[in-house]
Amino acid sequence: MALLARAAVPLALLALAVASRADQPLHARIDALIAAKADGRPTAAPAADAEFLRRAYLDLAGRIPSVQEARDFLADPAPDKRAKVIDRLLDSPDYPRRMQELFHVMLMERLGDHPEWTRYLQKSFEANKPWDQMAREILNPITEDESLQGAAFFYTKRLENFGQNPVDYPGLTRDVGRLFLGKDLRCAECHDHIFIAEYKQEDFQGLFAIYRNTVLVDPKKPAVGEQLMTKKLEYSSVFRKVPKSTGPRIPGGKEIEIPVLKKGEEYVKPPDRKTRFPGIPRFSPLAELAKQLPTASNPAFSRNIVNRLWFILMGRGLVHPLDLHHAENPPSHPELLDLLAKEFVEHRFDIKWLLRELALSQTYQRSSVLPEGVKELPPESFLVANEKRLSAEQLLASMLEATGMRERVLGNKGTAEAARAKFVKAFANPEREPEEEFNPSLKAALFVLNDDLVLSWLTPQPGNLIDRLSKLEDSQVAEELYLSVLTRRPTVEEQAEVADYLHKNASRRAVALGHLAWALLASTEFCVNH
Amino acid sequence: MNFEYLCRPLEHRMSRRQWLGGVAGAAVGALGLGGLAQPAVAQELKKKHRQVLFIWLDGGISQLESWDPKPNTQFGGPFRAIPTSVPGIHISELLPKTARQMHHLALVRSLCTKDNSHSAGVARIQRGDPKNRGVTYPYFGSAVAKLLGPGDSGLPPYVWVKPGSGGFVYQDAGFLGPRYGAVAFGDGKPPENLLLNPALTEADDEARNALRMKLDRRYAERRRKEWTEANSYVFDMAAQLRKQARLFDPSTLPPRDVERYGTHEFGRHMLLARRLLEAGVTFVKVNSYGWDTHGDNFNGHLSMVPKVDQAFAAMIEDLKDRGMLDNVLVIMMSEFGRTPRINGHVGRDHWPEAWSLVMAGCGLKRGVVVGKTNERGTHVTTEEHDIGHMFHTWFQALGINPKEHSYDNGGQPLPIAHEDCHAVTELLA
Repeated sequence: MALLARAAVPLALLALAVASRADQPLHARIDALIAAKADGRPTAAPAADAEFLRRAYLDLAGRIPSVQEARDFLADPAPDKRAKVIDRLLDSPDYPRRMQELFHVMLMERLGDHPEWTRYLQKSFEANKPWDQMAREILNPITEDESLQGAAFFYTKRLENFGQNPVDYPGLTRDVGRLFLGKDLRCAECHDHIFIAEYKQEDFQGLFAIYRNTVLVDPKKPAVGEQLMTKKLEYSSVFRKVPKSTGPRIPGGKEIEIPVLKKGEEYVKPPDRKTRFPGIPRFSPLAELAKQLPTASNPAFSRNIVNRLWFILMGRGLVHPLDLHHAENPPSHPELLDLLAKEFVEHRFDIKWLLRELALSQTYQRSSVLPEGVKELPPESFLVANEKRLSAEQLLASMLEATGMRERVLGNKGTAEAARAKFVKAFANPEREPEEEFNPSLKAALFVLNDDLVLSWLTPQPGNLIDRLSKLEDSQVAEELYLSVLTRRPTVEEQAEVADYLHKNASRRAVALGHLAWALLASTEFCVNH
Repeated sequence: MNFEYLCRPLEHRMSRRQWLGGVAGAAVGALGLGGLAQPAVAQELKKKHRQVLFIWLDGGISQLESWDPKPNTQFGGPFRAIPTSVPGIHISELLPKTARQMHHLALVRSLCTKDNSHSAGVARIQRGDPKNRGVTYPYFGSAVAKLLGPGDSGLPPYVWVKPGSGGFVYQDAGFLGPRYGAVAFGDGKPPENLLLNPALTEADDEARNALRMKLDRRYAERRRKEWTEANSYVFDMAAQLRKQARLFDPSTLPPRDVERYGTHEFGRHMLLARRLLEAGVTFVKVNSYGWDTHGDNFNGHLSMVPKVDQAFAAMIEDLKDRGMLDNVLVIMMSEFGRTPRINGHVGRDHWPEAWSLVMAGCGLKRGVVVGKTNERGTHVTTEEHDIGHMFHTWFQALGINPKEHSYDNGGQPLPIAHEDCHAVTELLA
């Protein structure tokens, strides 16, 4: 790999010649397909070791590397050390935690949180559960199985009343379309989408028929139920007021027949008014949905997830925005999206496998620094690494790592929870806003500038960053500081800057060290994944 | 069939990719003035920065005890009407100071809206009751923040002075996105973390930020600039806002102003609002709560209206004296009026059928009344005006033509005011 990376240009040409051969590993075929659309444009240099390491840690472990991990990696002469570190991270306990946080933010969009949901995601990623299985568990939650109970939270949070507003069934329908199929059917609620020919009102309404029928079972724990469905959903377009009807139907699929059941046979478990149990009907549209939607035969399902995983590592979807898959918004690299979807299905929806292949590609391992003399390369060319937003969770874990406060803060449940709450408040988007774009806010800046929490991490405490720095000579500070916070060695200019600042503030060295570390933490270089 | 304003996400059919590529610095654009369909509005208006003071009397002030008194009628209540500085216009005796400012004011007595519940009404009125297109419209404050921009003050464009807690109230912004939400000064206090952490001195703060900026410059040298610019922008805004921290320091208030506006909560908040307007904030909202007088309406208004009278009259006087009334649009209103019929608890209930509001300043006629209610005050006898008419009027007064300008919601053009309504020309200067 390192060899490939060092000789990127000639090998890219070679790769072009052997464009995407089936006997090659997926990561090589990715690079060939990206190179095939470079159109003679320059390509950024391979990322330096330090740049690669920080990126891989943030993406796969959800934090920056510790100063020791960085030193070890930079000193390692092994030519295959990048592949090794990718494997190590994917096997580390950081990986399921990172995935749990990532999928939580992606699927819940900051609507809320539940310990059962967290546990469900954590366990699923620990077991590297295939995505089709996870999707089935989320889309048709089996309330009886306790280990899967948390999966229902995706529905139950969305089935809650918000203030005096009615339950937002259209919102739930829309979210299922967006997050599992990559199709935002919002405009098709009231009429066929005017400019996206393939987004039909019947697509929205068929899915809506399924969700209009769902109910909350237990307000305390995640559990969703269904009402008895005996007739089709009636609707009409706001333009042509022609009455129409549909049974349950997944977008693009066949309408599911609503069975006529004899009286007394409609329920597997009849409802109980006393306990407010809604009953379990024999006909379950959710079960039908779970049979049809998360399957290899539904291309939208696999294309959506591979595009999202690509986005997570590459900073931009092949189809972008992520929830507008349709003919007139084609992928930037159509063959590549086809290939990823096909391979992902063949590898049994294995998320870890796909992330590994993506991370091994030269495309992933390119620098985010533009080639000399080049002012702009479009983000969808993937010829230069795209910068990525850091989530509140990544920022917290990274600031703790950088300041050497990880054990102290996370070691105690109370301080850990409090810190997490503060970071989410400062850095997360409001609910229902996907966290896809970089979105600095006044609130976040004020938090970094003046909140006691981060500033307290920048005072000397036994073993933390400032403590370590305070024991070093002025000339040694910059290296330790930069490697701890920015995962790279300082330039000559930066070394001089640090020494100069310490010299000027010799009488209050600990305070000056705090300022230096703060400036690094508040910098753009720290707060994005580049 | 009118497709004009229905879902029309242009980027769906044009190259959405290109479209977004063009605003790769979406963050930067949107933080500043951002993607109006016609980006020139803010530019056109830049020369004369227009501002808005929006006073919200939450719960519903009674029109009969304020702008549309009906003394000696069946539902008139105990208060008299008094003459004002404009011959022929009378308002409630609870507003003697405001009566002397009447020649600067414009009254509307012909409001007829639809919602009579608070929870729906507050949002519906402040969002201008647009047609339902499956999107959440911005509150007037967010709308103005978007359309007029922040000006040169370096302060956030939409500031809300309110009792209780403060914070960042992004919900107001609707589809415009959280950055057009309100920065709320709870009980007139600055937002969390605005003031310099006591562990730092000003010199320290300057020094650490200088270090940060050097790092950012180096980082941006060979990368796309937008990310660093967006990040720097919020730090700059934080610094600008902190420079105005004196606004929150009561010791800097002239004692005469404190006395004129009143030492009560509403008076203090209105005085802060004046200082925010002077500092250049585009849109200042001031809330007063407790107007939902289902019981004991008359004693309630007897105690609350004079406070409003005092601070409102002082505000009009000050804006006039400072020459600001030409640039600042002042609006004072509720989500609805109160029933003419007096209920069994000597209260008045919710009445959206016929109610009033008061305005002044920028782009408006002065010393006028528009609209009329019947003798008992139960219904409007002239043309009825919905909130959509008011939005048209306000935008016109601010120099924004709602027929020419629309929002661009990710490619979907949306009208800034209800397209079935129009401006009330009798109000416009």
